[in-house]
Amino acid sequence: MKVVASYNVKGGVGKTTAAVNLAYLAAARGHRTVLWDLDPQGAATFLFRVKPRVKGGSTKLVGGARPVEAALKGTDFEGLDLLPADFTYRNMDLDLARSHSSGKRAGRALSGLLDELAGDYDLAFLDTPPSLSLVSENVLHAADLVLVPIIPTVLAARTFDQLADFVGTFEGDRPDVHGFFSMTDRRKALHRELIATLPGEREGVSSTSIPALAVIEQMAVRRAPLPAYAPSGPATRAYEQLWTDVEQILDL
Amino acid sequence: MLAALAPAKADRYELAVGPRRTRTVTYLDTVDWRLHAKGIVLSHERASGPGTLTVDGRGEENSTRLTESPQWPARVEQLPEGEVRDGVAAAMWVRAVAPVVRARVVSREVAVLDDERKTVVRLDWVELTGTEPSATRPLVRVTLRPVLGYGGAAKRVRKALEACGDFAEIEDGGAYATLLEAEGIAPEESAPPAISADMPADVAVATALHGFAGVIAVNVDGVLDDIDTEFLHDLRVAVRRTRSLLKLAGDVLPPELVRRYGSGFKWLGDATTPTRDLDVYLLEFDTLAAGLVAGEPGDLAPFGELLASEREKARRALARTLRSQRFTRLIEGWQAGLADVLERDWSEQDGRLTAEALAAERVRGMVAKVIKRAKAITPDSPAEDVHRLRKRCKELRYLLEVVKPVCDATAHRAVIKDLKKVQDVLGAFQDGEVQSHSLRDYAERLQSSGRPPAATLLAMGELSASFVTMQRQARHDLTGALRKFLGPATHERIEDLLP
Ligand SMILES: Nc1ncnc2c1ncn2[C@@H]1O[C@H](COP(=O)(O)OP(=O)(O)OP(=O)(O)O)[C@@H](O)[C@H]1O
Ligand SMILES: [Mg+2]
Repeated sequence: MKVVASYNVKGGVGKTTAAVNLAYLAAARGHRTVLWDLDPQGAATFLFRVKPRVKGGSTKLVGGARPVEAALKGTDFEGLDLLPADFTYRNMDLDLARSHSSGKRAGRALSGLLDELAGDYDLAFLDTPPSLSLVSENVLHAADLVLVPIIPTVLAARTFDQLADFVGTFEGDRPDVHGFFSMTDRRKALHRELIATLPGEREGVSSTSIPALAVIEQMAVRRAPLPAYAPSGPATRAYEQLWTDVEQILDL
Repeated sequence: MLAALAPAKADRYELAVGPRRTRTVTYLDTVDWRLHAKGIVLSHERASGPGTLTVDGRGEENSTRLTESPQWPARVEQLPEGEVRDGVAAAMWVRAVAPVVRARVVSREVAVLDDERKTVVRLDWVELTGTEPSATRPLVRVTLRPVLGYGGAAKRVRKALEACGDFAEIEDGGAYATLLEAEGIAPEESAPPAISADMPADVAVATALHGFAGVIAVNVDGVLDDIDTEFLHDLRVAVRRTRSLLKLAGDVLPPELVRRYGSGFKWLGDATTPTRDLDVYLLEFDTLAAGLVAGEPGDLAPFGELLASEREKARRALARTLRSQRFTRLIEGWQAGLADVLERDWSEQDGRLTAEALAAERVRGMVAKVIKRAKAITPDSPAEDVHRLRKRCKELRYLLEVVKPVCDATAHRAVIKDLKKVQDVLGAFQDGEVQSHSLRDYAERLQSSGRPPAATLLAMGELSASFVTMQRQARHDLTGALRKFLGPATHERIEDLLP
């Protein structure tokens, strides 16, 4: 099972949107896929119309008192399951730290939980809250690939560098870090410029760009992945391009 | 439909009904249920376009999308090449498949939604209505597909549905089994009417003959439509059985009946011979061609074409016979005459010969004849004597098949087994001779019809030589086989089998 995290320390950059759409596309292409919503706000959970309720909460799940499988929910889409988030996830950092005291390494606890799913899925997507926390550290350790949505701003490159540097300090396996542009607007000169130059200057930043489009924003109203209600059109095509990047990096 | 499923809401859910999909499905088999016997289901489904052909052989399923509408009945070579055809070829053998039942299938997927409009259970609604051979009432099956993590909802919906109706009218065994039952079709060959030991002899003989007449009648259409070669084969065997039984036990029937119709079966049998001989030739043609040592299989192609056109001619002549008044009068009059014998009151016949006694008497007589002839065969006996023995053996075999119900089963099986071995050797002898003669004849005809390639004539020469070798081998094997299978031991076994 390959693990793909959608991560950026910044909020509102398109992490959840990317995770949901890519998980949908992966499943539609026949990969047995699970999406784990790790954000206590439960945006991905909401988009799949699943109630934000996890029996036993983060504590039981992270502590190993309840098997991960028991929390799985089938989505409305063939081959795609969801591990929903609920509000107890706001304490996940504490739960992870506690699992450290019980012998496991705090930064790797999530990997152990994902291993329980490895037999049933080909791909796991992790949707993460915007933070630098024990949860995000766990996510980065568990991932084979970290997708980083970048809104083209002057500071964006620095944020990306910081993440790449942090991952660079990992001992042993390091995930691929793959930046892509999010919510881009071709009418903005800065957007055009950064999209043209950054991929050349930074290893790991691709020129794949998800334009800012109303049809993408509508996901929250439709409560469905974008390709499910707008299967053709530039927005879905952009996510399909991003999926192609993922396929190439992970050699799927 | 929605009304029927309303209980699935279980007071808290909504239903989202998917689009209605309609298709027709045709289930196919050979007349003698060969696919069924092997546990194979062959079906043709279409919604629009030519549809798909699917074979399900004990759980292993293969489908082919068709590029043109299929024509039924179809022999294996008329099915599209591929996995489906490979999956039915052995079971179909030389027989054609034809529709057994046809149905209209209406299906719908229904999603059971919670208050977030999230699907928590899926229901597959399938409605199957038999349309052929007769219209059935709609048969419904609702299959509940739980969604991961919503076990509670699945339980609730199942309970609510079960409380208010039968949603499993289509059996687990599948739509085909359900349809067959609804149509009242039993997937097995109708057994020939059996004789029993205490039947009066004439009733027993008439019963067997009436069965053969039924076989003749039932195969006529298949021969006329040239569906496959087995229709003619079965018809012909029934004619031969009729003739043998008339010869061996016809004397117990009203003499007038036998006098009137008996000779008709020789006429009918003779009329079937040319087509059947050519059928056999053509069925074996590829094997024969592949067995050439000096020649190439393709060398025989002009000969194959000659055979095919001869067969077409022969078949047309046969069709004329089977459509003739003489044929109709023969079969109908014969069946009516036999029915008269069958309908006579048994009780009046007290003290007369029983089937059992007749069987014992005739089998003993026939066995004595066969063994006498077999003993007389030496390595130098003329071919004529061998052919006569072959005919007697065949008659004995038919007789034994008729009297089987009054015989000891184990002994019967053993005797038939021995007899079969002898018949195989005799058959090889006969085939070798007939084939090598007819090849000569065909070669001359090819020659006079044009200028056949030399390679063709050479290949035919090679075939002819192999037939002669086969005949010699059979002649060589014969004396041993006769001693072994028609010796004193066999005589004893035949005594065991008789009452
Ligand atoms: N390409 C886009 N065009 C238009 N709107 C977008 C696009 N991508 C995301 N949005 C919208 O922007 C908002 C934030 O997106 P999203 O929730 O994916 O970001 P996030 O990084 O997961 O946020 P958070 O950090 O809060 O988890 C959402 O309302 C989403 O619909
Ligand atoms: Mg988010």
